[in-house]
Amino acid sequence: MPTKNATDDRLNKFKNKGKEPSKLRERRIAECVELRKAAKNENFLKRRNISTLPEDEVLSPHFNTDDYKVTLTTIKEIVGHVNGDCKERQTRGCQAARKLLSRECKPPLKEIVEAGLLSRFVEFLGRDDDPSLQFEAAWALTNIASGTSWHTQQVVEHGAVPAFIALLASPMLHISEQAVWALGNIAGDGPAYRDTLIECNVIPALLSRITPDTPVGYLRNLTWTLSNLCRNKNPFPPLSAVQQVLPSLLQLLHLSDQDILSDACWAVSYLTDGSNDRIDVVVKTGIVPRLVSLMGFEELTVVTPALRSIGNIVSGSDVQTQVAIDAGVLSALPRLMRHNKASVQKEAAWAVSNIAAGPAQQIQQLLTCGLLPPLIDLLRNGDFKTQREAVWAITNFTNGGTVEQVIQLVQSGGLEAILNLLTVKDSKTILVIMDAINNLFMAAEKLGETDKLCLLVEELGGLDKIEMLQNHENDTVYRTAQGLIEKFFTDEEAECLQTEATDTSFIFKTQDVQKTFQF
Amino acid sequence: MELNDGNLQTLTEFMRKTLDPDPSVRRPAEKFLESVEGNHNYPILLLTLLEKSQDNVIRVCAAVTFKNYIKRNWRIIEDEPNKISDPDRTTIKANIVNLMLSSPEQIQKQLSDAISIIGREDFPMKWPDLLTEMVTRFQSGDFHIINGVLRTAHSLFKRYRHEFKSNELWLEIKLVLDTFANPLTELFKATIELCQTHAMDINALKILFSSLTLISKLFYSLNFQDLPEFFEDNMETWMSNFHNLLTLDNKLLQTDDEEEAGLLELLKSQICDNAALYAQKYDEEFQPYLPRFVTAIWNLLVSTGQEVKYDLLVSNAIQFLASVCERPHYKHLFEDQNTLTSICEKVIVPNMEFRSADEEAFEDNSEEYIRRDLEGSDIDTRRRAACDLVRGLCKFFEGPVTAIFSGYVNSMLGEYAKNPGVNWKHKDAAIYLVTSLASKAQTAKHGITQANELVNLTEFFVNHILTDLKSQNVNEFPVLKADAIKYVMIFRSQLPKEQLLQAVPLLVAHLQAESTVEHTYAAHALERLFTMRGPNNSTLITPTEMAPFTEQLLNNLFKALALPGSSENEYIMKAIMRSFSLLQEAIVPYIPTLIGQLTHKLLLVSKNPSKPHFNHYLFESLCLSIRITCKANPTTVGSFEEALFPVFTEILQNDVQEFVPYVFQVMSLLLEIHTSSIPNSYMALFPHLLQPVLWERTGNIPPLVRLLQAYLEKGAATIASSAADKIPGLLGVFQKLIASKANDHQGFYLMNSIIEHMPTESIVQYRKQIFILLFQRLQSSKTTKFIKSFMVFINLYGVKYGAIALQEIFDSIQPKMFGMVLEKIVIPEVQKVSGPVEKKICAVGITKILTECPAMMDTEYTKLWTPLLQALIGLFELPEDDSIPDDEHFIDIEDTPGYQTAFSQLAFAGKKEHDPIGDAVSNPKILLAQSLHKLSTACPGRVPSMLSTSLNAEALQYLQGYLQAASVQLV
Repeated sequence: MPTKNATDDRLNKFKNKGKEPSKLRERRIAECVELRKAAKNENFLKRRNISTLPEDEVLSPHFNTDDYKVTLTTIKEIVGHVNGDCKERQTRGCQAARKLLSRECKPPLKEIVEAGLLSRFVEFLGRDDDPSLQFEAAWALTNIASGTSWHTQQVVEHGAVPAFIALLASPMLHISEQAVWALGNIAGDGPAYRDTLIECNVIPALLSRITPDTPVGYLRNLTWTLSNLCRNKNPFPPLSAVQQVLPSLLQLLHLSDQDILSDACWAVSYLTDGSNDRIDVVVKTGIVPRLVSLMGFEELTVVTPALRSIGNIVSGSDVQTQVAIDAGVLSALPRLMRHNKASVQKEAAWAVSNIAAGPAQQIQQLLTCGLLPPLIDLLRNGDFKTQREAVWAITNFTNGGTVEQVIQLVQSGGLEAILNLLTVKDSKTILVIMDAINNLFMAAEKLGETDKLCLLVEELGGLDKIEMLQNHENDTVYRTAQGLIEKFFTDEEAECLQTEATDTSFIFKTQDVQKTFQF
Repeated sequence: MELNDGNLQTLTEFMRKTLDPDPSVRRPAEKFLESVEGNHNYPILLLTLLEKSQDNVIRVCAAVTFKNYIKRNWRIIEDEPNKISDPDRTTIKANIVNLMLSSPEQIQKQLSDAISIIGREDFPMKWPDLLTEMVTRFQSGDFHIINGVLRTAHSLFKRYRHEFKSNELWLEIKLVLDTFANPLTELFKATIELCQTHAMDINALKILFSSLTLISKLFYSLNFQDLPEFFEDNMETWMSNFHNLLTLDNKLLQTDDEEEAGLLELLKSQICDNAALYAQKYDEEFQPYLPRFVTAIWNLLVSTGQEVKYDLLVSNAIQFLASVCERPHYKHLFEDQNTLTSICEKVIVPNMEFRSADEEAFEDNSEEYIRRDLEGSDIDTRRRAACDLVRGLCKFFEGPVTAIFSGYVNSMLGEYAKNPGVNWKHKDAAIYLVTSLASKAQTAKHGITQANELVNLTEFFVNHILTDLKSQNVNEFPVLKADAIKYVMIFRSQLPKEQLLQAVPLLVAHLQAESTVEHTYAAHALERLFTMRGPNNSTLITPTEMAPFTEQLLNNLFKALALPGSSENEYIMKAIMRSFSLLQEAIVPYIPTLIGQLTHKLLLVSKNPSKPHFNHYLFESLCLSIRITCKANPTTVGSFEEALFPVFTEILQNDVQEFVPYVFQVMSLLLEIHTSSIPNSYMALFPHLLQPVLWERTGNIPPLVRLLQAYLEKGAATIASSAADKIPGLLGVFQKLIASKANDHQGFYLMNSIIEHMPTESIVQYRKQIFILLFQRLQSSKTTKFIKSFMVFINLYGVKYGAIALQEIFDSIQPKMFGMVLEKIVIPEVQKVSGPVEKKICAVGITKILTECPAMMDTEYTKLWTPLLQALIGLFELPEDDSIPDDEHFIDIEDTPGYQTAFSQLAFAGKKEHDPIGDAVSNPKILLAQSLHKLSTACPGRVPSMLSTSLNAEALQYLQGYLQAASVQLV
C-alpha cells in the first residue's frame, strides 16, 4: 500500500515541484508495461518489402499458397539452386526465396533460416560482379530481418552487418537502397543492434548518400533507417552518433515530402525523449522553430511526431521550454487541442501540462496566448486520456501559478471542470484533482476567501463528490478526500514537554536546566 | 503439533467451546486456540477438520477460524518473525483451491476469502500456478465449481478497480490477462449458450445467471485500468453478448420479491456499469457500440417497473444516459424532438413519481425520508438519477427540455385539479420536476443559488405553492404541504421578499401539523429564512416584521417539540435558537416560561444524550436566553443560576461527558455577567476544575480555560486569599497546556489572565519557573503559533511589571538571554502577530522596552534598539487584517462535529474580546512618540543619532508622522 500521496511520483517528475530544485518536468513516463495495443500512430520498427517488380511474372501459386507442403518443396528446390555453383541457378533460387518471403500471408521466414540459406545469402551480398544476385539476396535478407528479434538475430549472426554497410556504396541505386532498408530493420530491433551498427560506422556511410540528386524514394528509406538509429532508450544511442546525425536530420526536415518529414520528426522525437542534456543537444541545433511550424501541417503523420518532439522539449528545463515558447508553440497548440483526433488532443494537453509546470512567467504566457479556454474545453469534452492530461495541466498550474493566475483559472471555469471529473473511474486522476483543489484552497487562504471557495465548490456539486469519495475503495483517495473535508469544510481545531499529575491537580515544576537555551 | 487424531480431537473440543454462549467457557477456549496457533501444522489441522469432521458445525467453525488465522498471520512483515512456517504455507497453497471447490457453499465462501488474502500477498510471484489451476476448472462443466473459481477470481481482481497504476500492478494484470482472458471469454460464450439450452430450467438458469454476473464483474475489473489488447480484439464478442443480455427477458427469472433485486437485475446492472466504463474511458474504441447501448438501456428503462428491486438497475441505467448525453459527439443521439420527448415522458417523469415506498417512508420513517429528501443522501435513488439526467440534458437542450416539461407540469397539475384526493401524487411529481428543472446550483447555506431562467419560479409559487400553504387544514395532503414548504425553503434566494413574508405566518401554522416531515420542514424553512441576509448585513426579515407572529411562533415551536416523534427534533430546536437570536429583546417577556421548558428538556436529554445536534441547539438556546435577558437586566443572572445549577450539578456529578463542555461554557457566560465578587457557589467548584481527569478530554480544554479565565477575572483576589494552595495546581494546568502544540495557545490565555488579574505577591515566587518552561518549549519545538502567543505574553508581562523586570528575569535565567530573545524572536517575528488586541499589547510592550529599559541604551543590547524600533513600525504599518468576523446570528452550526473528537463551541456563549490595556493607551503610535520624546529628553542627542544612522528611510518617515501627530519633537 502506498502510504505517501501517490501523486508524488509523477509530481516529482515535473520540474520545479517539490522542494529540491533539481526536480524535472514530467518525462514521458517509462511505461514498460502496457495493456493496450501498441499505439497506431507510431511508425514501424521493422518493415518487410512486399512489393513486386515489374519484371516479375504474376506470382505463381507456388509462392502464394497456404499449403505448407508446397512451400517446403519450393524451399527444397531453392536450397538446391542456391548451394550450387551455377550463377543463374543461384539467382533463380535467391529470387524464389525473395518471392516466398514477400508474399502477403505467412512468409516462411523461419523455414528459410532453418534451411541454412542465410550464410549463402550473406555471401552473395559481396558479389559485386553479379548485381541482380546481390539485389535478390539483399531483399531476401531484408525480409528475414523484418521478423521477430530471433529472425533479425539470425541475419546479424551470419555477418550481414558489414556486408550491408559495404553494399551501401553500391553504384546501383536500387541495391544500395535495399541495403538501407535491411539496415533499418536491424537498427529497429533494439538498442543492442542499433549500437552494433553505429560502431560499424553505418552513419557516415548512410549520410554520404544524401545528395541533392538522391531520389525521394531512396531518401524516404534512408530517413526511416536514420530514425531507427535514433530510436530506443536503455541505453540511448551514443551522443557522438546523435551529433553526427543531427545536421542531416535538420536538412531532411526542410524537405517537403510528407513521409520524409514524418520519419525525420519521429527521429527528433526519439532524440528528445530523454534527460535534459539529450534535449539540449537537439535544441542547440536551432531545430525548434521548424518543429513548431511542422505542428501546423495538415498531415497527421507529420503533426503527430512534431507534437511529440515539442512535447518532449517542453518537458525539459525552463530554458528549453522557453525556446519552444519563443518559437511560437503557444500559438500552435490551441489548434491541436481542438484537433479532431483524440490522440492529438491528448498529446497537446500533455505538452500544456508540462508548460504549466514551469515558473509563473511561463504560466502567464499560457494565459496570454489564450490556452486556458481550449484546455478547459478538453476537461469538459475530451476523451478520457485527454482529460487526464488536462487535469495534470490544471494541477501544475495551481501549483506554480500566482494567486492572480489561479483566480483567472477559477473564473474561466477550470474549477467546475475538474470538479466534474471527480467521478472519473481512475484513482490517480481523482487524486490529482484533489491536489489541485487543495492548491486552490491554499490560494484562497492567502486571499482570506476560503469561505467563498467552500461555497463555490459546494455550488458546483464538488462537495457532494468529495464527500462520496470518502467511501472510495482506494485508501489514499478516501484519506485525501477526508483530509479536504476536515481541513476546509468543517470548523475545527500532540505534547512536547512532560507534565506530571496527581489525582487532584497537575504538578507545576521545571526540570533542572542543564543545557543553555539557544533559539 | 503432530497431524494426528489426538490433536484433531483436542482442537474439535476447543472449537466447540468457542461456540458456547457462556463467556467463562468461551473465552478460555479462544485463548487456547490463540496460544497454539503459532505451532507448525496448526493451519493444516484446521483444514483437515473443515474437510473431514463429521460435525457440520465444527467444519464451518474451522473454516471461519482458518480464514481469520490467515487474515492475522499470512502477511510477512519486515523485521518481524514469520508467523506461519514455510512448509505449512506450501501445503496450504497446494491444497486450498481444491478444498475450496469441493466444499459446500458456506465453507467455500470462507476459503475463497482466505485465498484472496493469500493471493494479495503471494500472487503472482509466490503462487505462480494459482491461476492455471483455477482456469482448468472452467472445463469441469460443474457450475458449482466454476462459480467458486469466479468468486475467488473476483475477490483477487477487484482491487484493479481502485489501485493506482504501477508497473508492478500492470505486470500482474498482464499475467492475469494472458492466462485468464481467453478462458473467461470462452466460458462467457459457453454459459450464454447453456442459458439458451436450459431456457426452461429455472434451477439451471439461476446458477448460470450468477455465473454471468460474476463474469461481468470480472470483465469490469480486468478492463478498469486500461483497455487490454485482448478485450479490444474481442470487443465484438463481449459487447454484442452484453447487448443481447440487456435486452433479454425470461419470465422464469422474474421474482415476486418487490424489494430484493433478482439475478436478472443484478446482471443488467453490472452490464450498465461495464458500458459506462467503456463509454467513459475507451470512447474511441467503444463508439461503434455506444448508440446500440443507448437504445437498449433506454428501452430497458421504459420497460422496467416501479418496484424497489429495480432501483439499482434503474439508477445505474439513468446515470449511464446522463453521462453520455453531456458529451458533445453524442449530442445527436438525443437531439431529435421525439427522442427528447420520449426520454422525458418515459424515463424521467415515471422515475420522479412518488412511490408507495416513498409514502411509507414519509409516514413511518420520517428521519430517513428527511435525510434523503433534504440532506441529499439520495445518491442511489431513482429521483436523484432522474434529476441528474435532467441536468445533463439541459447542457445542450435546456430550451426544448424545459418546454417539454412545462407541458408535463401543466398536464399533471391539471390531473391534480380534477380530483386532488386521488391525483395528489401528480402534483408532487410536478413540483419535483419544476425543482429539478429550475435548480442549477445549490448550497446548504443559501438554497438554490442559480436557477433556470426559463422557469418562472414566482408565478409557480403564487399559483401552486401558496395555495397549498394557505389551505385551512394543515393535515390534509401532508406530502404536498411538505413539498410546498420545501419549495419555499430551497428557492428562498430566488423569491421576492414580499412572497417570503407572506409565507412566514403560514409556515408558523404548519409547525402544528401532525406529520413529522411536514412540521420538521416548516421549522427548517423558518430557520433558513431567518438566516437570510438583508441590506447592511442585517437579517432580511426583521424583528419588527416578525412582531405580529412572535407569540405564535414561539408557542408553536415549543408545542411542536411535544408532537409524537419530535421530542428531540433537531430542526425544531435549531429554529428555536434562530428565532431567539432574530427576535432578541422581543423574547424577554416569554423567557420565564420558556426557560423552565428548556431546563426540563435538558434534564430529560442528559439522562441519555443521543441527538448531538439537538443538544447543541438546546444549549445555544439557553445561552441566548441568558444573554438577551441579562443584557436588559444583569441582576436576573441569579434566577438563571437558580434554574440551571441543579441540572448542571447533576450533569457534572454523573459526568455526562457530552454535556460537560457545554456546562462550562454556560457557566462562564453566567460568571462573566456578575459585576461584584465571585459567588461562593462558584468557589466551591474551583478545586474540581483543576483535576487532571477533566483536562484529559480535549473537548473540555477550551471551555475550561475560558471558565478559569472568568474565575481569574472575577475572583483573583478571592483565589489569592482563600485558595492560595491551589495556585500551583492552576500553574500545573498552564504547564500541561503549553506542553502541547495543539493546546499551547490555551495555556497562554490562562497565563495572560493570571498575569493580568492575580495579585503580584501571590505569583512572584513562580515567575522564573514560568519563563523556564516557556524557554524549554521554545527550545524543543518552536511553532509559529507558539511564538505568536509567546510574544504577546512577554509584552503583556512587560506592560504589567515594567520592561526592566522583563529584562532582569530573562537575564537571570541565562546571561544575555534578553538580547537573544529580542534578536532571534521578537525582531524577526513580531509582524506575524495578528489580532488588534494582540498587536496593541506587543506595541505597548515593545515601546516600553525601547524607552524604559536602561539596558537597551547602555549595554551591548544597544545594537538591537534600532532594529527593534523598525520592527515595531513594521507592526504598525503592516496592512491590517480588516475582515470583520461574521455576525454570530448567521453562523451555521450545521457542521459542528460530534462531541468526542472536538470541542463543540457554543456560538451564542461567545466571549467578548478583552483588551487588558484598555483605554490606558488609546493610540499606541502616539504612545511611542511620547515615550521616545521622554527618552530623548532624558539623554539628549542619542535618540536622533540612533535613528539617523540605521533606521531605514521609510520607517523614519512613518515615525515622523507619529511625532507630528503627538506634537512632540526628539532632542
